[in-house]
Amino acid sequence: MKRKSLKRLAFGLGAALTLTATAADDAGVPYPQVTDMIYQVVSADRSVYTRLVVERLTIDEEAITASEHFEDDVALPLPAQMFRFGAELVADETEDFSYSLLSLHPINKKNGPGTDLEQQGLQHALDNEEKFYGEEELGGQRYFTAVYPDFAVSEACVDCHNDHKDSPRTDIELGDVMGGVVIRIPMD
Amino acid sequence: MSRNAVIATLSTVGTLVAVGVVVVLMMVGGDRRALLIGATTDAHHQLELSCETCHAAPAFADPETAKSELNKTCQNCHEDALDDADDSHSRKRFRSPRMAAYWEKVDARYCTSCHVEHRPDITRASAVTVAMDFCVACHSEGEQDIRTTRPSHEGLSFDTCAGCHNYHDNRALYEDFLVRHAGQPWLKPEPVHALSAQYRAWKPPEESAVGPGGTMAPAAALADSTIVAHWAGSGHAAAGVTCASCHAPDVADDGPQRDVEAAWIDAPSTSVCRDCHRQEVRTFALGRHGMRQHPELAEPREPGQGLAKLGLDATLPETILASLSDPAPPTHMHAAEARLPMRTDAPTEPLNCGTCHDSHAVDIEHAAVAACAACHDDAHTQAYFGSPHHALWLKEQAGEAALGTGVSCATCHMVKGKRRGKVTTNHNQNDSLRPNEKMIRPVCLDCHGLAFSLDSLADTDLVSRNFTGRPAVHVESIEWAIQRAEPPDAGR
Repeated sequence: MKRKSLKRLAFGLGAALTLTATAADDAGVPYPQVTDMIYQVVSADRSVYTRLVVERLTIDEEAITASEHFEDDVALPLPAQMFRFGAELVADETEDFSYSLLSLHPINKKNGPGTDLEQQGLQHALDNEEKFYGEEELGGQRYFTAVYPDFAVSEACVDCHNDHKDSPRTDIELGDVMGGVVIRIPMD
Repeated sequence: MSRNAVIATLSTVGTLVAVGVVVVLMMVGGDRRALLIGATTDAHHQLELSCETCHAAPAFADPETAKSELNKTCQNCHEDALDDADDSHSRKRFRSPRMAAYWEKVDARYCTSCHVEHRPDITRASAVTVAMDFCVACHSEGEQDIRTTRPSHEGLSFDTCAGCHNYHDNRALYEDFLVRHAGQPWLKPEPVHALSAQYRAWKPPEESAVGPGGTMAPAAALADSTIVAHWAGSGHAAAGVTCASCHAPDVADDGPQRDVEAAWIDAPSTSVCRDCHRQEVRTFALGRHGMRQHPELAEPREPGQGLAKLGLDATLPETILASLSDPAPPTHMHAAEARLPMRTDAPTEPLNCGTCHDSHAVDIEHAAVAACAACHDDAHTQAYFGSPHHALWLKEQAGEAALGTGVSCATCHMVKGKRRGKVTTNHNQNDSLRPNEKMIRPVCLDCHGLAFSLDSLADTDLVSRNFTGRPAVHVESIEWAIQRAEPPDAGR
């Protein structure tokens, strides 16, 4: 497995990864380990937002709603939107890595698989409930691509997907794989 | 020397001189307008003396670098508006490598994929240069084939997309918004533009007011009774803004008279206005009226730096360096430079805050209509006078109708916003235009239904008549959105 220096990845990943990067040796860290770490950070952030902000304020406290049109509705952004906004912010800052939240059954079709490897990885995540690693070439650049199964951990996620008029799947249950987190790193 | 040899020699010398002149203009300094490869688009023509404002890449940069640097300069002026618009095709969304397949179709990472400058022959409204049916590139295949995912769109050609959709700003056009605003009457029962009403109702606390006796100025300045009277009746006087507040801004309000006289500035700059009206001055520099004051405009080049890059002696006498300098770019816009129809007797002074507001009367009512009509002379402006919107404005001005019921030029073109409880006026006159559906949410919907608003703004003749009459165009967006939200076979 080729290696990539973590020094290039330190920017934008926050203090936790920066500390890890500092500790890494010059030989670099294997790609899967890097994508695993990125996944831990972005996944943890979304879980915290889902449980401590969205679920607490919308379900437990009934203080505010969460909505796809959160600005018009003066509501909280959905956890998936929070995740995507973070991904877009990272994409605006660096090309050293990118991540996205995709599904074989997306509400918005642009979040369906867009490459053969995404299709393969999302299917693997759905069938086996485990992560998937691969390599692909996009726009003339070789990428290490990892896909992590994304589980339905919240009633809010399940209800929204099952009830949305554009959802191709309406039988999602808690614990099901709804899609996958796809993380890419350009390979040297 | 034969005749042919003379001609060849002169030709060679002439060519070398011409090349030299071009190299000096490109690399060192001088007026480069003669080198423009094509007329610039409206608004950008104000920046023609400041090439580096857009062309920020170093000379002879590779094409990718040049394109990337060009893109950054677009963002300098346009990024905030795109962020506010919740850009449907934001650049950052397309930077992900998973979008690589789209880069070869319409590369949405770069503004220049759709907006090429200096190409007047192919430039349409909003400086768009890409083909009318460009949506076909990405929305005609697979999961993105709009004709299969939207039965209502079956059979539509891709050169009609822009009749309902915008590439960037769809805040008033997205499906759920259309459904929510379906069935509204053309005119609401109590049509009032809420933020205009709040803005006009606001008054400063009475205790902050100052009269002529409470202000300090040189005797010569106070001798002009008209100016003093204008100020005394203004919102500035009511808010405690004295002569010295603007003309001697560095002196404390209760500073001694001699300090005020010593620091007196006859014609304060816009920066003085910015001290209190930060948002207004910031947005003024984003629109066509004030863009020559945008903070990101490039400064004229230093000829010495260019000479050094060419390996030439940069320690030339000042007079020679001065002759090689870029002409100083104008710092303000003038009505005479506009490409829109303007009155022949339009004011000739540089456009700044005082042009519309009158520096001493600071009359926002004057600035809302009369100031616009003092310069603009197009059909839409002419038709305003006598239009229903104008009649409502006159009634409100006469105190015969509630605040916010009148519609001035500024109601639609200097849109009000509210932030942290304070109503401000966006002085970028273009923020609610290009395309005009941007006006629907902050303006039209306060008084009119969405369907009527969509139809009216799509009717170019009605726009030209300044909305005197009813729309003769119908946009079917709402009906189509309703069909999808409540399909006939759903049993609802």
